[in-house]
Amino acid sequence: MSTTTTTPGQRVGLRQRWERLVRSGTGLNIIGLLVAIALLYGVLSATAVGFTSAANQVGMLRDAAMIGVVATGMTLVIIAGEIDVSIGPAVALSSVIFAKAMTAWGLPAIVAILVTLVFGGLWGSVVGYLRARIGVPSFIGTLGLWNILGGLALFTTDALPVPIPLTDPTVDLLSSRILGLPTPAWVMLLAFLVFGFVSTRTAYGRSVFAVGGNSSSARLAGINVAKIRTLIFVTTGMLSALSGVLLAARLGSGNGGAAKGLEFSIIAAVVVGGTAMTGGRGSLLGTFLGVIFITLLGNGLVLLGVNSFLQQVVSGAIIVIAVLLNVLMSRRGGHATTD
Amino acid sequence: MEGKSPEFGSVIAQTRAVNKRYPGVHALKSVDFTVHAGEVRALLGANGAGKSTLIRMLAGVETPDDGTVEIAGVQLVGGVREASKLGVATVYQELSLIPGMSVAENLFLGHWLRGRAGIDVRAMETAAASTLSAIGARIDPGREVAGLTLAEQQIVEIARAVHEDPKLLILDEPTSALAAHEVGLVLDVVRKVAAQGVGVIYVSHRMDELRQIADTVTVMRDGRHIATTDVRGASTQRIIDLMLGETAAREELGYQARPLGEVKLNVVGLSVPPKVDEVSFSVRQGEILGIAGLLGSGRSELLRAVAGFEKPASGVIEVNGMKVRSHNPLHIKNLGVGLTPENRKREGIVADLSIAENMVMSDYGKVSSAGVLQPSLVQRVSSALRARLDMKADNLDHSIATLSGGNQQKAVIGRWLHAGSNVLLLDEPTRGVDVGSKAQIYDIMRQLAADGAAVVFISSELEELPLVCDRVIVLQGGRVTAEFHAPQIRAAELLAAAMATEEEN
Repeated sequence: MSTTTTTPGQRVGLRQRWERLVRSGTGLNIIGLLVAIALLYGVLSATAVGFTSAANQVGMLRDAAMIGVVATGMTLVIIAGEIDVSIGPAVALSSVIFAKAMTAWGLPAIVAILVTLVFGGLWGSVVGYLRARIGVPSFIGTLGLWNILGGLALFTTDALPVPIPLTDPTVDLLSSRILGLPTPAWVMLLAFLVFGFVSTRTAYGRSVFAVGGNSSSARLAGINVAKIRTLIFVTTGMLSALSGVLLAARLGSGNGGAAKGLEFSIIAAVVVGGTAMTGGRGSLLGTFLGVIFITLLGNGLVLLGVNSFLQQVVSGAIIVIAVLLNVLMSRRGGHATTD
Repeated sequence: MEGKSPEFGSVIAQTRAVNKRYPGVHALKSVDFTVHAGEVRALLGANGAGKSTLIRMLAGVETPDDGTVEIAGVQLVGGVREASKLGVATVYQELSLIPGMSVAENLFLGHWLRGRAGIDVRAMETAAASTLSAIGARIDPGREVAGLTLAEQQIVEIARAVHEDPKLLILDEPTSALAAHEVGLVLDVVRKVAAQGVGVIYVSHRMDELRQIADTVTVMRDGRHIATTDVRGASTQRIIDLMLGETAAREELGYQARPLGEVKLNVVGLSVPPKVDEVSFSVRQGEILGIAGLLGSGRSELLRAVAGFEKPASGVIEVNGMKVRSHNPLHIKNLGVGLTPENRKREGIVADLSIAENMVMSDYGKVSSAGVLQPSLVQRVSSALRARLDMKADNLDHSIATLSGGNQQKAVIGRWLHAGSNVLLLDEPTRGVDVGSKAQIYDIMRQLAADGAAVVFISSELEELPLVCDRVIVLQGGRVTAEFHAPQIRAAELLAAAMATEEEN
């Protein structure tokens, strides 16, 4: 065997760290993504007019936050071997709940945020319960939720925006900048730090990997598989609610038809980031880079003046190619991929 | 009968007069079994001898109908958790590691160490490194499991079991998935574990392996404990006699010679690293060729490569005189080769489709007209196959899952008859099939051969090869090491050849 040994107490050397990184599929993927992002950034700087302007860079951060906040929780969902397709309507309905809570129900902004989060957690727990205790596949459960939440968002508002008082200091804070960066970008960075820690350094996070990698050995090791499968959907529900609040603050209204197709951008970011749809493998760092990649791509296509219908074609193709490279690389790394 | 073992420690596990019955099977018949601390005990027996049931008793997966199981002097009452508390750790054939996690995290699965800042990766890696080095394994505990070789993963499985500080370690064919050159790594680890005073039960049929690591061997047959003896004192022949008992005497029944035609399948120097190494054989029209070999000897990989499902590194395959040019399953199927896979449930049947559809799926064209499936044709073709194979199925439109194992197997064979295959590769067609259906499957094989097909038959139950085969080749470590011709085919000799150590060859 060509592996090096660590004797107890010895610190891990740089060479060994490098070896671990290159030998793990995740490590290879991250190196590849960094190269792709650098290339894309370089090309867009040179070709797309206004790409490097401060306004565009800040705008991209806002766009990234829209995808990134929920992508953190989605990474755990996919690592656990599940899927949540309900995000778009969940974000839209959350923006409506937040707006109604502030206006029709007359709640202070902080309380309105908490109420929205509770709603998100509730519907997440329903899907989680159906998956974990009854065995309803999460794709079906969340597809149903997609319809229900989307319908409710439009029904309760008659498809009209619900304005929120922009003078409210909390709303103002959420829609403006802190230290030069948009507030949602801070929220996203915080979410990545928290979930990065949770996924690698907490029993909960590692249990998510264990459940997705091999649920029966996880169960035999004493992990509460049903609890993990419930909590991951509570998490995406609450993160969708948070995104809805940020969206409402940005638009100045709750909007029942907002965030159309958001779930697909999020899933694409997670998968481009190297998380296996089959579960058990993935990283928050990868997802973070995936979010940046998807955002850069979207922004670049707009700035380059690509026909908006064609944009869809191009971004769809590039996402598939990115995942294809990913699969090929992990195959070279000796990982089982087919079947 | 119980060999005295003064050089070992105290009794670590013991069963007394244990009985276990399943519907229709008396799996364990009053079994007394004892293992000592520091002893490596090989557990041998033909399929259905009761090895697995005994292991499952000790691991707490099953409870005895009567009799007692004691671990380190304490009677085992309750299930797997109770057994593991008493100090039993088991490594099953199937790997149970989480691929996306590091070696250290897998060792601590579900019980990760916590420090001030969440899970303490360094503390786990340090502890894992000491567990790994204590068993002589040179694996970086920080590596992702998905990047390890199979042998390394198997060692991590053993390390995980050892990490719980067991008194009794049960290893169920730990080397069966490994290539010959990787086996030594695992054996070194097992030796180290035993040296620390752990009692080890080692299930394997590779005699050379057993001679290297086992101190004593227990042979089981028909649910009974037949003998426990020192490995050194026992010749391979004696162990085989113990395993097969008097069944060896009954085997000449059933075989009838058939006239052979031209060569249908010719394989020359086929290599599929790491499991198949330079294998050559041929099968003639009307001939049934048996392939004997232990689990992991490369027999399934060989057939899969012939059928185009694995890419050979070198070698030539000729079917009906035509050289196979591209190793793709469709091309080889069209040349007339059909493979029924070892795992009927997972790779053989499509459980949700009807019996009829399961049979016609090898060639939809024959039951279609202008590209549209013709239900009447499907019905006619599948009814004809049902009659030809004597399948017990009232309604061919019912799900194939409603059939018994034997009838499912007939349907899978029927699939290749429908495709017009005349080279049939049958990988363990009688596994998990009742005795009556087995006899029918032998008859089908004989009939197919008489109708002009060439049949290749893999079986782990070596007793059945002499019943139907005209010729048997023995695979060991991916090579053909022996060949027997009917009527001089004896199960005992096949087993001896399959289990033989290098020197005995």
